[in-house]
Amino acid sequence: MLRRPRKPRKTASADVQDHSLEQALEHSKDKLLGNELTSSERFFKELLGLNNDFVMRRFHVFGRYPAVMCYYANMVDQALINKDILKPFMYVPSHLEGKEFELGQLTEVLLNDAIYHSACKLERQLEALVNAILQGNTIVLVDGLYDAFLIDTRNIDKRSIDTPATEQVIRGPREGFIELLGTNISLLRYRLQTSDLRIRTMEIGRRTKSKVAVCYMEGITNPDLVAEVDKRLSKIDIDAVLDSGYLEQFIEDNHYSPFPQVQYMERPDKVAANLLEGRVAIMVDGSPMALVVPTVFNQFYQTVEDYTERFLLMSALRLARLIALMFSLVFPSLYVAIISFNPELIPTEFAVAVAGGRAGVPFPAIIEVLVIEISMEVLREATIRLPQQVGGALSIVGVLVVGQAAVSAGFASPITVVIIALTTIGSFATPAYNAALALRLLRFPLIIMAGIFGLYGVMIGLIVIANHILSLKSFGVPYMSPLVPGNFEGMKDTVVRFPFSLMRKRPSFLFPQDHTRISGQAVDEQADSKGSPLNPLKFKEERKDAEE
Amino acid sequence: MMFAAQFAKTIKLLIVIGMVVPVLTGCWDRLEIEERAVVLGISVDLEKPGAAKEESDVSHLKGAFPVPNQRMLRVAVQIALPGRIPLGPGEGGGGKGGSEGTVWVIDVVGHTLDDALMNLQQQVSGRLFFGHLRVIVVSEALARHGLQNLNDYLRRNPEVRRMAWMMVSKGSALEVMRAAPELERVPSLYLMSTLDNAVRLGKFPVNYVGMFWSNTSKKGQEAFLPYVEIRKEQNIQVQGMAIFTYDKMVGSTLPFDIAAYMGIKGLNPAGYRGFVPIGNNPSRTVTIYATSRKSMIKASIRNGKPYFKVSIFTEISMEEKISEQFSINSSDILKEIEDTNRKALKKACENLIEKTQKAHSDIFGFGEYVRAKLPNYWNKKVITKGAWQEMYPNVDVEVTVNTRMRRVGMKAK
Amino acid sequence: MKDERQITAIQSAAILVSTIIGVGVLALPLFAVRAAESGAPLVTAVSVLLAFVGLAVISLLGMRFPKQSITQYSEDIIGKWLGRLGSALLIGYFAILSALTAREFGEVVITSVLTRTPLEVTVIVMLLLAALATRNSVTTFAYIHHFYFPLLLFPALLIVALSLKNADGLNLQPMWGNVSWTRPELWEGLLTITALFQGSFIMTLVIPAMRRPEKALTASAWGMLIAGGLYVTIVAATVGVFGSEEIKNLLWPTLELAKGTSLPANVLERLDAAFLAVWVTAVFTTLFSSYFFTIKEASKLFRLGDHKMFSFFLLPTVYVMAMLPRSILHMYEIIENVGRIGLILTIGYPMLLWMIALVRRKRGNR
Repeated sequence: MLRRPRKPRKTASADVQDHSLEQALEHSKDKLLGNELTSSERFFKELLGLNNDFVMRRFHVFGRYPAVMCYYANMVDQALINKDILKPFMYVPSHLEGKEFELGQLTEVLLNDAIYHSACKLERQLEALVNAILQGNTIVLVDGLYDAFLIDTRNIDKRSIDTPATEQVIRGPREGFIELLGTNISLLRYRLQTSDLRIRTMEIGRRTKSKVAVCYMEGITNPDLVAEVDKRLSKIDIDAVLDSGYLEQFIEDNHYSPFPQVQYMERPDKVAANLLEGRVAIMVDGSPMALVVPTVFNQFYQTVEDYTERFLLMSALRLARLIALMFSLVFPSLYVAIISFNPELIPTEFAVAVAGGRAGVPFPAIIEVLVIEISMEVLREATIRLPQQVGGALSIVGVLVVGQAAVSAGFASPITVVIIALTTIGSFATPAYNAALALRLLRFPLIIMAGIFGLYGVMIGLIVIANHILSLKSFGVPYMSPLVPGNFEGMKDTVVRFPFSLMRKRPSFLFPQDHTRISGQAVDEQADSKGSPLNPLKFKEERKDAEE
Repeated sequence: MMFAAQFAKTIKLLIVIGMVVPVLTGCWDRLEIEERAVVLGISVDLEKPGAAKEESDVSHLKGAFPVPNQRMLRVAVQIALPGRIPLGPGEGGGGKGGSEGTVWVIDVVGHTLDDALMNLQQQVSGRLFFGHLRVIVVSEALARHGLQNLNDYLRRNPEVRRMAWMMVSKGSALEVMRAAPELERVPSLYLMSTLDNAVRLGKFPVNYVGMFWSNTSKKGQEAFLPYVEIRKEQNIQVQGMAIFTYDKMVGSTLPFDIAAYMGIKGLNPAGYRGFVPIGNNPSRTVTIYATSRKSMIKASIRNGKPYFKVSIFTEISMEEKISEQFSINSSDILKEIEDTNRKALKKACENLIEKTQKAHSDIFGFGEYVRAKLPNYWNKKVITKGAWQEMYPNVDVEVTVNTRMRRVGMKAK
Repeated sequence: MKDERQITAIQSAAILVSTIIGVGVLALPLFAVRAAESGAPLVTAVSVLLAFVGLAVISLLGMRFPKQSITQYSEDIIGKWLGRLGSALLIGYFAILSALTAREFGEVVITSVLTRTPLEVTVIVMLLLAALATRNSVTTFAYIHHFYFPLLLFPALLIVALSLKNADGLNLQPMWGNVSWTRPELWEGLLTITALFQGSFIMTLVIPAMRRPEKALTASAWGMLIAGGLYVTIVAATVGVFGSEEIKNLLWPTLELAKGTSLPANVLERLDAAFLAVWVTAVFTTLFSSYFFTIKEASKLFRLGDHKMFSFFLLPTVYVMAMLPRSILHMYEIIENVGRIGLILTIGYPMLLWMIALVRRKRGNR
């Protein structure tokens, strides 16, 4: 569907048989509204009237001039229309009661004296009017006027702002983005109350006309980066953008890589932090996930909490996450390699015991591991699809029962089950779901390589993966930055997070315009001037003085 | 144009796949751990010449072995039985507590080690796997006959580890393999841990097979191996050191000589006990044990011959005394003990050196000191290993011992 | 190209180190001990110095022509056709070097770990791995080396550190060995070991891509110091543990060192297979460099903008060359001879170029 060659947009006259709205709109492009109500009415009726939820309400303005109000019933706030639009249109405002108006004065009077609504404007472009209705606005056409009143009555049901489901924290804000772009922008603006936050919107999607917002910090983000993001976005031509994931696949550098080169995030505070580092965020109406570019590999094992908790502890946890990441990639293949190729590596007692555990298993280790690994993936997939109440039960039942049964049926050795379980748990420790997915996928070729060449094969596989990672770039930033190429300022925030007082500069691989993050002088002054007002010695003396 | 590019890409892809697929189909070396016959120990005996009858025609026809007068070898291997050794602790030992059930000992004869193993492989389903070979026992007869063939095979095989123990058994090596001590589930591992713990307790110097090989190769040093014997409880006792010249055993020492050896080499930890009769009065004997040793060997030339000065320092502790008739409550008496011990150790060392000199076997590596510290002399007079073996009995070694007693235990007198 | 001048001095030092350290380490103590017995570390150190002289000349040449690689400036210095001949010889030599590296490691793998895997397969796998990686740009080339650099040093140093407790200082004495320094084996060994450092020739390719070519000499010195230091350390540790006579019995003493080493608490009881697995990285970087040099310079010689097409085009030739030696011993004879002869190309030829450049006052534009 996405691959379909696009039709040139500007030559709409060609395809007559297609009676789609889009085609009709092409016809009416640049056309203006006439002043005859009947013809205008017919136009809208033909165009939109086939839909059941399209409402055309006839009435008389101030009891004299015929008018028609059009909107989509399910996208508007009915109460608002009744009270703040229909009523002021029908009744002459009280302070003007008894006065006579000409038709020519009507627009002015309505706009300035009658309508109680802030977002109300005049519009005479047909295309704009139709689009406005499609977005949930209401238009009012009055006989004899060349302008239609366009009133913002959009009211889409939305879910409330909730804790982000994919990025839970123990310490830190609890808000997550929702689907509506406007709400998301407000969440972001609330955290970055500065005039430097720039939000540029554009529409992408031939049919959906989804609003896409590009956010960055003026004075921090490198302007070349913003320009490149704009360029890549503007080149997208697709009929529908239903989620930010669609955009991600168009703006990433290497489409065939399993590694994500764009990070998505659900937390406004995380987006704000990334903007402040000099990155660019892209948000799409209808998607609760913001995209952030450029992305480097390091980000995938970091969480917001790393910055809210004490640095020593979080550095240790980061290390644990990195180990879990590596484990989930190589553990099963190492197991296969050692069991089938190099059992001399493990201690003799253990080797003999492992041989005993495997004695009744009919399959070679590689088949055994692959089968269990695949069933684990199936189980995991099943738990995601199932309703939450069932899902939890199933995962426990699945792991316990199936694992135990497989062992006692002689289908798998107990150690294999342990290995796979550890691997699976390890892959959950990775905060970024898309990176964990990539590593989960890469595990399989590694297992196969291990089955052919043993440790040697695992290493070959790892080298191929590492070479691929090293050749990746996200918007020109090498994927392994700041490790390769080395960047000392950036390395302060890799596996170990340095205390803030030492991370005074923004990561320079993003080439920000303003490097200073924390004023060094202030940090030093603060360190010097920390007093101790509750020093017990002081109080002791005071008490002594008081006693005397 | 576009089509051609697409076509070229497809062809390229096909070539790459064509190259990769045959690679993927082979798993040449995959051999599951349970399909391997994990050899934990090996014993090699020298067999009587008539044993060839027992042999089947596996690697050669009867009587067609190229070296006709080579004595036959009897090789026994101890193979771990997967499944019999339970995973993890518990499980109550799985039936028989002893080691009978956990390993399988089979023996065959052959002209060479490989020949014997080939005969063996013919009888065992799993491929013999030497990656976990921990113990190699050779009989004294074979050791005296020479270990060249054995060493060559073991060095050449990439699976054999350098950290295995090789030992010489007094009597039949097969008996050692068949021994089933009660303590450990796997007999070979028991043998191994006997020696490992001897090292930890200071009863024997670290001497893995790799070190044995290195010492055999060195020009100014000869190798030694632990010399073991089976005792009545099917346990194994270290009976001293089997000393070698080249790869032929030429003699053995007593267990106490090991202490002297470790003293001369200054090896720690120290673990040997000694009885010290104070003032040569047997009724006033105390037991002491050495806690640490240091030694220094200085080589020089005297009268055109290498001359070695060995200074040993040992620190000893009081372990027991045999009667209450005398008390140990002053530093003078400690000094007396030190003195007696000094003399005893000096005597022991000199005895051991003399013994090795008689055997032309410089297990201490005095020759290495000459090679390293006096290269001019070595390059002129010695050069080869054989020359040093000739020279060794004639060199003079002066041993001085210094002892300090520091601890007497919790008792005050 | 603007974005191709990105390699920093640290990266070029890393490239040097990871290029030099390779499969040669496995047999290095044997070569050194054959040459000078317990003087092996000293011989290695002298070889390092010798190799550094060659590398210094290459760096000086490169700094004189900071925008060109050797195929380009050799034509400026000694004329179009002589220069092309020299470059063709160099390219051929590095193709042979790649072939021998792949073959040598293939032999190590099939002898010690995968005893029943065909040699052809291990060689093809290594060559494919390198060929796949050479399709990247010089910048990625530098990144790859930079990334693997710590992975090379760590296992080697770990094994040295763990084996130190078994080492005996006596084995390293006398420092100059019990041999006379005039015997021919010693000089042959010296040259053989120097030849193990020939990978440093990759500097001619790196300098034109360096951000600041004037730092090339510093980078070379650091690279040589680290790689040479590691080599001397490994030789010293191996000789210290085994003694020089035992090493003469061992085909790959460094691997044997790993075999006799176990991690504390016996997590891994022997490290040879693990070491060999990690060492794939080292061999890969070496092979990558020599093959990258071959195809990159070949594409420059034939005035092609893109080197990618060569990476698979030359592969069959290299593979056939790799399979030419009849046995492992034959292969080592070839490696020693080819290495020594190659020194004429990798040290002698640049030295000649440099002297002519000095005499003719040739200088590249900055």
